[in-house]
Amino acid sequence: MTTSTPDDPIIRLVDVHKRFGDLVVLDGVSMGIPRGLTTVLLGPSGTGKSVLIKHIVGLLEPDAGEVWVDDVEMGRASMKQRYAVRRRFGMMFQQGALFDNLTAGENVEFPLRYHRRMGAAERRRIAAEKLALVELPEVYDRPTSALSGGQRKRVSLARAIVLEPDVVLFDEPNSGLDPMTSGTVDALIQRMKEQLGVTFVVITHDIVQAVTVADWIGMLSGGHLVAYGPTETFLQSDHPTVRAFLSRKLPEGT
Amino acid sequence: MTTLLAFVRFCGIVARASLSNPPPVRRIVEEAHGIGVRSLPILLVVSAFVGTNLAVQGYNAFAPLGGERLIGMFVALAGVRELAPVMVAAMVAAKAGTEMASQIAVMRIGEQIDALEVMALSPHWFLVTPRLVGILLVIPALTMISIFTLVLCSYGVAVYQLGLDGNDFIQLAAATTRPVDLLSCAAKSLVFGAIICLVSCFYGFHTRPGPAGVGQATNAAVVVSAVSCAALNYVLSEVLFG
Repeated sequence: MTTSTPDDPIIRLVDVHKRFGDLVVLDGVSMGIPRGLTTVLLGPSGTGKSVLIKHIVGLLEPDAGEVWVDDVEMGRASMKQRYAVRRRFGMMFQQGALFDNLTAGENVEFPLRYHRRMGAAERRRIAAEKLALVELPEVYDRPTSALSGGQRKRVSLARAIVLEPDVVLFDEPNSGLDPMTSGTVDALIQRMKEQLGVTFVVITHDIVQAVTVADWIGMLSGGHLVAYGPTETFLQSDHPTVRAFLSRKLPEGT
Repeated sequence: MTTLLAFVRFCGIVARASLSNPPPVRRIVEEAHGIGVRSLPILLVVSAFVGTNLAVQGYNAFAPLGGERLIGMFVALAGVRELAPVMVAAMVAAKAGTEMASQIAVMRIGEQIDALEVMALSPHWFLVTPRLVGILLVIPALTMISIFTLVLCSYGVAVYQLGLDGNDFIQLAAATTRPVDLLSCAAKSLVFGAIICLVSCFYGFHTRPGPAGVGQATNAAVVVSAVSCAALNYVLSEVLFG
């Protein structure tokens, strides 16, 4: 196994184990997520990438091990501390997780309504600004049912960044999207990474996306983190799973 | 047993979330309005026909004994004290409870509940508390409306179909139904409302993935709510009416 440790991790997983019944999903995963950089976790479907990301925000608790966000250990944190940590996070969900009874713009406004003291006009202005940032200024008053899959993801991203979080998590941002839309989402992540300068954590099985946006890449397989490090180091890994994954998925000449 | 423990834990989380932060008023108004509007039409229809049937069956039971003028008392005892609160509970469970369970189940499957958590909002506070307060605000009113409709339709059948004396009906019904009985009915309805809301939301929160899971959650919500209310009605009647 070839794994590296970043100098200044904002998130640390220490020997995290998780199982559902007889199914072992995470089997002693330890890693640090570097602050201010984009980390991509790769792996075939069903290898526990979503489970891992849910541990980071405390949606799931490990059976054993620790998850630290700066100096807060999520397992031992009170609910108040957890919510304080979560206010530092934004998350783009795989299917968007938009509220169907609200318009696209109201979805983006939603966190502001409950976490910021401001008038309706100010909320609308900020939400419109975030929708413009994800290149969807025209959908503000559109019901979520009228959005395409790619648009739902981008609205979800606008909602994730509306409180200007320290960390943005992306759960399979390209799943279910056609190659053209996937490319647009990759470019969007890349541009936002440059504009916002915050920590991004992306989980995906799309190696092209990983190479496009990542500063660090890790690979999960069989419940283990089999390789992890800066992108250049990762791409040179001689771990058989990484080589098999790259040879099958990476375009020639990359 | 595991489900019961999980339900008790769920109620504890809802209580803590509700007490730690006042629920959003706008959401309470939306829920109260929705529950009232959704349940009222069916409640009026069912109450009307339960009232008509009570009068007819009361007549069939008492007429052979020469006691047909006791129908007013029968309607007050059976209809007002017992049937109306349980009937309202069943209708609210069928209309509002199923909607709560299915909506929350769909939100669970669609990761919207996870999204609330990540946004540092307690889903129990945001989804359950407004529904709970909303149902507690409207269910006593629905019960009083149901009682009024039931008695009115019983009166109509007794006087216009069965040819009984309207004054007898009103006097005996009024003598049997004291104001405190109406308060007791309202108290019963509050207990039933809380059970319907908490049970329905609980099954919604704990749904299994997929459309079948939503169906099962909705089904369990209405069955468990209705059975719990019917069983509790017996206990509450013993306590309140002796």
